[in-house]
Amino acid sequence: MTVLATIVDTSALLKVVVYSLAAVVGVTVAVSLAILGATRFADMRADERPLEATAFAILTALALAASIGSAALGVAVMLSK
Amino acid sequence: MDSDVVLVIVVATALAFDFTNGFHDTANVVATVISTRALPPRVAVGLAAILNFAGAFISLAVAATVAKGIVEADLITPTIVFAGLIGAITWNLTTWYFGLPSSSSHALIGGVVGSALVAEGTAAINGDGLLSKVMVPALVAPLLAFVIAGTAIVIAYRITGRMRPGNVNRGYRLGQMLSGGMLALSHGTNDAQKTMGIITLALIAHGDIAADNFHVPFWVVASSATAIALGTYVGGWRIIRTLGTRIIKMDAAQGFAAQSSGAAVILASSHFGYPLSTTHTISGAVMGAGAAKRLSAVRWGVAGNIVAAWILTLPAAGAIGAACYGLTRIFGTGALGPLVVSVLALGLVAALFGKRLRHATPPPPPPPLPVAEVER
Repeated sequence: MTVLATIVDTSALLKVVVYSLAAVVGVTVAVSLAILGATRFADMRADERPLEATAFAILTALALAASIGSAALGVAVMLSK
Repeated sequence: MDSDVVLVIVVATALAFDFTNGFHDTANVVATVISTRALPPRVAVGLAAILNFAGAFISLAVAATVAKGIVEADLITPTIVFAGLIGAITWNLTTWYFGLPSSSSHALIGGVVGSALVAEGTAAINGDGLLSKVMVPALVAPLLAFVIAGTAIVIAYRITGRMRPGNVNRGYRLGQMLSGGMLALSHGTNDAQKTMGIITLALIAHGDIAADNFHVPFWVVASSATAIALGTYVGGWRIIRTLGTRIIKMDAAQGFAAQSSGAAVILASSHFGYPLSTTHTISGAVMGAGAAKRLSAVRWGVAGNIVAAWILTLPAAGAIGAACYGLTRIFGTGALGPLVVSVLALGLVAALFGKRLRHATPPPPPPPLPVAEVER
């Protein structure tokens, strides 16, 4: 087991685990919030509640920006090596 | 002169392998998008081809690992590389014929290791590199993708679970265009680099590049990108069907979770130079997205067949690579052996395609609405 740990670059492997998990959790939360925001925005607008509708529109915009930004960040990190 | 001919054959064979890699692995990239009807099949395949091409230009870390980290470049000859490639192509086509999404990457590495082992003995194999860069990531990647996809789908259902299914599905289908694009890009990044690494290894063996001055010539990057993109475009409908509808019935959120997880694991691994199996990774993610919702949603019998193909790939491609090297050497050390084996390989390819065409079925129509979606 010790020999295996010596041969295998556990630090790099751990980084793969952490980066992948963080990226997917982040993107999933962002996209899900964008869907939630867009749906609630439509509901609130239909109910003529402009304040809540605006809040959900902002949530949608921020979540979309985070989704696209995280994808761009992923590519930028790859290009930086 | 003979060595130049062998080098040309090796480069052509490597690009042919790259083409079959794209052809074989199209399923990894487009199956989930097609399964959830986020994109029509032809559009999905076309987009995947373009992004595979672009992805090939992103990084060279995996190419360096394949060229230097698995076998001892100083002991490798172009004929060894050639025999390994033939082993990989033969195994790829065999699994394609039976509709099994096995790993092109492991076929390539298995083939080269098998032929190097027969040619030069264990001295030609970098055991530590093989273990740390191939074997361990081979175990970790699908499990990691499984767990991450499962986590992602739980989060997605937690946030959007009480909303109208129509809006949710439309939203995740849009999300799938982003995650599917990233998956195609990551596939091009990791898989095209393996061919670049193999061609560079042949160039080192031929004396065109010094082993201690590793670099990948631009023509190698461009030709590898083109070959994998063309292979992806031509596509593999049988495997699309296996991965897209037979493992699990997916809804759009599951497709999104599977694609995002696959893309993240492959991109992160490429960054650290791991020549990962994209097939293993996305299959693990697809299963994770299904199992997190309901264990019985995964068709474990089909999944078991895929696992069996995974286990067989390294030794089988290695055995074929070793046999090809032996066959090549019957004709001496010149160009005759590779020429004869190339002709035999082309005959095998023609026979397999001919048999497939005789039993050809038209490309599958878009799959029926996923069960989970109908139920909701």
